[in-house]
Amino acid sequence: MLRLSRRLVEGWAELGTRFLPFADAATPELPLSRLLRLSLFQVSCGMAMVLLMGTLNRVMIVELHVSAALVAIMVSLPIVFAPLRAVIGFKSDTHRSALGWKRVPFIWRGSMVQFGGFAVMPFALLVLAGAGQSAHYPAWIGQVAAGFAFLLVGAGVHTVQTVGLALATDLVREEDQPKVVGLMYVMLLTGMIVSAVAFGLLLSEYSPGQLVRVIQGAAVVTLLLNVIAMWKQEARDPNRHQPRPAAQEVEFQDAWRLFRSGPEAMRRLLIVGLGTAAFSMEDVLLEPYGGEILRMSVGDTTLLTATLSAGGLFGFWAASVVLGRGYDAFRMAAIGAMVGLPAFALVIAAAPLDSPVWFGTGVMLIGVGGGLFGHGTLTATMRAAPRDQVGLALGAWGAVQATAAGIAVGVGGILRDVYAAATEPVLGYIFVYSLELLLLVVTITAMVPLVGWRRGHATRNQAA
Amino acid sequence: MSEKVGLTGLTEAESEELHRNLIQGTQFFGMIAALAHLLTYIYTPWLG
Repeated sequence: MLRLSRRLVEGWAELGTRFLPFADAATPELPLSRLLRLSLFQVSCGMAMVLLMGTLNRVMIVELHVSAALVAIMVSLPIVFAPLRAVIGFKSDTHRSALGWKRVPFIWRGSMVQFGGFAVMPFALLVLAGAGQSAHYPAWIGQVAAGFAFLLVGAGVHTVQTVGLALATDLVREEDQPKVVGLMYVMLLTGMIVSAVAFGLLLSEYSPGQLVRVIQGAAVVTLLLNVIAMWKQEARDPNRHQPRPAAQEVEFQDAWRLFRSGPEAMRRLLIVGLGTAAFSMEDVLLEPYGGEILRMSVGDTTLLTATLSAGGLFGFWAASVVLGRGYDAFRMAAIGAMVGLPAFALVIAAAPLDSPVWFGTGVMLIGVGGGLFGHGTLTATMRAAPRDQVGLALGAWGAVQATAAGIAVGVGGILRDVYAAATEPVLGYIFVYSLELLLLVVTITAMVPLVGWRRGHATRNQAA
Repeated sequence: MSEKVGLTGLTEAESEELHRNLIQGTQFFGMIAALAHLLTYIYTPWLG
């Protein structure tokens, strides 16, 4: 039996090397099977994001009749933890452990917190909706409990993702980092797509019992995936268990100051924020734009999500291939931002031309541009991170990225509503898309000195 | 801190850290379970 399963695993690994674009991410020290296993934490993060932003968002409004404003507050609660990613990353960099670990304890605690959030969430939501006997109790119990559950899941996702990416950076050689970034992004997207379909099927017949089963099932899957992902990944560092003398204890402020003094560190973070905002603002507006303005059917607008994902996958793949040859990562991000310009122009032009084809092409290009931009900035962050500040660097990237994306999605929706109410519905959308174009122009402008400055570095990389 | 290695191959400091994690995990899961029970009781009281 054992031999059979081992042969099966080997078979899968071989199949992978033959058919996956990321197969050559495996280095002698880190075989592909181990890398794929590590990337499972991204699947659990993707699942949590879809459940919070998509599935539960809908279930709370449609089935549980919670007010849309309250739902919006609950769903956006996890963002408050996003800036803390930098601190989490720093903590894992400097963690003292007798077992010689710095990443595994954090991934474990993050998984535990995420599990805990999902475990209480269905009951909290039912109480929030005043279902069953819960209407006899004051409303704040449900609100506090649901808020607590969302916060726990958010804290878990932020921790697991930050420290998981730091662990991946620790494990691979620098020339393999682009492929690992590609793999991580693809697994996040895979987790989101698969779980969106699965949650949709499982909750097509809603009942309170089914809600409990699905969310708690997600809790168990989270714990399983993350434990499998981190199992035997991090080598134990014997130097780590000696307690540091108090004088050498690094404070976050000092570490942050050191990080800021890196070459153009703050400009890089600003670019990540601006570009991410530019590529995220349309997130919840594409489907209603297609339905309301271009009169596309529900089936066709659902296809938009698939189109966007396909574009993103292509972007990640292309970036992995090109960056793997030593191309400068920030230039790649700049190219991504430039792809975004015609993309949003096409989306805007689709309304006066009444052309779903232009719209679809634009959406796909948004996916490609966003994929190139995200991959480029993350790879650049990994390459620039000092060995002892990997967690802090990736935490800062994630903090800016997640905060910008969260705020941009919210602001995009609000601006659409406000502007559409003042003028016409179509102008509300076009206002937001134009704002994204403007943000992309600002992003590209901010990148100019950086890309020029990196020229020498880029050619050196290409020669190597 | 002694570097004595026990039957499991763990030093005393290592086993203490493992134990601390186990205790913390148990406390956390216990609290989560208590909260889930409380909310379930509010939703549908048992033995009512």
